[in-house]
Amino acid sequence: MNALLVVVALSVQNVDALAERFAAMTAVTGYEQVMTDSLLALLPGSMRDRTGNVTLTLGRGAPKRLLSCALDEGGYAVGNITDDGYLTLRRVGGVPRAYPLFDQQLEGHRVTLFGRRGAVPGVVGVRSTHLARGRPAAPDPPFTVDNAYVDVGATSRADVAALGLAMLAPVSLTKRPHRFGNGLLAAPAVGRRAACAALAAAALSRPRVQGTVVVAFTVQSLYADTAGLKTVKNLQGPFAAAREAILTTRYTGTAVETVALRDVEALVADLARWIGAPR
Amino acid sequence: MILGLLAMLTIQDTGRVAEAQAVIAQLVESYGVSGAEAPVRQVVQRLLPSWARAETDTAGNLWVRVGQGDPAVVIVAHMDEIGYRVDSILTDGSLAIRPRGGFFPSLFEAQPALIHTDRADISGIFLPRDTGMTRRTPPPLQVSVGATTRAGAESLGVQVGQTITMPKQYVRLAGTRATGRSFDDRMGCAALILALQQLDRSKLKHQVIFIFSTREEIGLEGAEAAARQLGTTPRRVHAIDTFVSADSPLDPQNFAVAPLGAGAVARALDNSSVTPPAYVDSLTQIARTRGIALQIGTTNGGNDGSVFVPFGVVDVPLGWPLRYSHSPAEVIDLKDLVSLADLVRAIAEDW
Repeated sequence: MNALLVVVALSVQNVDALAERFAAMTAVTGYEQVMTDSLLALLPGSMRDRTGNVTLTLGRGAPKRLLSCALDEGGYAVGNITDDGYLTLRRVGGVPRAYPLFDQQLEGHRVTLFGRRGAVPGVVGVRSTHLARGRPAAPDPPFTVDNAYVDVGATSRADVAALGLAMLAPVSLTKRPHRFGNGLLAAPAVGRRAACAALAAAALSRPRVQGTVVVAFTVQSLYADTAGLKTVKNLQGPFAAAREAILTTRYTGTAVETVALRDVEALVADLARWIGAPR
Repeated sequence: MILGLLAMLTIQDTGRVAEAQAVIAQLVESYGVSGAEAPVRQVVQRLLPSWARAETDTAGNLWVRVGQGDPAVVIVAHMDEIGYRVDSILTDGSLAIRPRGGFFPSLFEAQPALIHTDRADISGIFLPRDTGMTRRTPPPLQVSVGATTRAGAESLGVQVGQTITMPKQYVRLAGTRATGRSFDDRMGCAALILALQQLDRSKLKHQVIFIFSTREEIGLEGAEAAARQLGTTPRRVHAIDTFVSADSPLDPQNFAVAPLGAGAVARALDNSSVTPPAYVDSLTQIARTRGIALQIGTTNGGNDGSVFVPFGVVDVPLGWPLRYSHSPAEVIDLKDLVSLADLVRAIAEDW
């Protein structure tokens, strides 16, 4: 798709589709390459720095300002593989703060593992309801990542390896963005993804630019106190002003984190104005 | 020679697995909470062989009668699945819901929701809790369709009594494994359909009644209506339903350990019935004669055949091993479906 077609495709009404498309992607913090590959393809003239951030420079001269969004998400990586073909996990991105039952959302649900041969479907096991019946009720603490056994249909370590899966493969809940109500979009980490979609749409709308604006899609926001953003500032700064694209979300941190698509559209317009007229 | 034979068998097995998958995938991706099985019934009817004459009774059960003569044998699998129904629409537009069947409600929490109507499904979400941070005992779940008033929800088409599930998809895993929701008991339905497709009707020595039943998950209600209608006429009943397996690192290994991929399972002892040992032996002999993989086991749960027992009908239930029962991430092995379908066919033709 050439640049002109991209601009046409990203008319305001299609920002909704871009938000949904971004929400369907996975970018576990530190393992964002697949999504940044997509951004590089989407944004002509963009580049990837040594940390993995994708940046696009608009305009020229002073003042030089920074407009960013964090594209990564908390998730998991394969921590071990058992002899009988299950994979166990470690959390990536620290202890989730927004939703105390973040890990529990794995239990009994589909996950996607990103191996060397592409995405691999799996599930996280849960006790069979029927087999819990008639047995004394056990203590009921929340499910944590340490309780997660990922079942990809393998029966041995060799089966797992044949799927292209190994230690450190990133893992997330399977992304299936879900529209409901009057223009609501639900998905894991949809707030971040929709904000990045708004930023991409604003950059692609060819806004009037005041001075230089570095548009940055940053990685590793959950490590080293925003490692990716700090890298952009150190490599391309100093900046006279900086703004992060953020959206209001409901049910934050859950698998049905929700944004209003009219807020996404409004953010596109607001970011385009910011690019053209610094306050 | 041996290599050639192995290659032929592999081709044959691949074909059988593909055939089984073509049936089960369609059944798993249809929706039918207990009492609202019409979409599943339509898929079953579409998959039946052209010669089959299907009838729906007042309980919603779908009957296919094959062969003639007494004593009749009944083979039954249930079409319904667990889920919720809309109990009331609250003033803030959210939906109070009631479970249909037994499962961990936490598995539905904070998930996309579908409210099923006679027309298009309505999208919503199962709301996440904000208190009671335990694993499996959340406060009563509610659903949002994005409305903020009762009138707003009603304007979207929501009505009390509609059923609710979450979106589902049949997904192939490694080898011959697959995942999805409501394999219980679409695998049973698929086994009946595959058996009917392969059936040699000239071999039947008596009438065999295939029943696709309703409302199993809320108390075997459809099967009970069928059992009352048939009374003491049948000699045997075979409920074809899930063998909930402890073949996972999460369940106690005291019983119910039937490995996935090792074939159909005689559900010889569960919470609703005990199969007379002589009948288990007969079943084993039929499987052995035909070279069909069969495991013998005991698991938890009830089965549709048990409501025929008070009429003097012997219940010989069969299943296939299922991991993570009544969850959105149930896992099966397609080889077990092939084995189960072969065994259902053998029972109809030979027993």
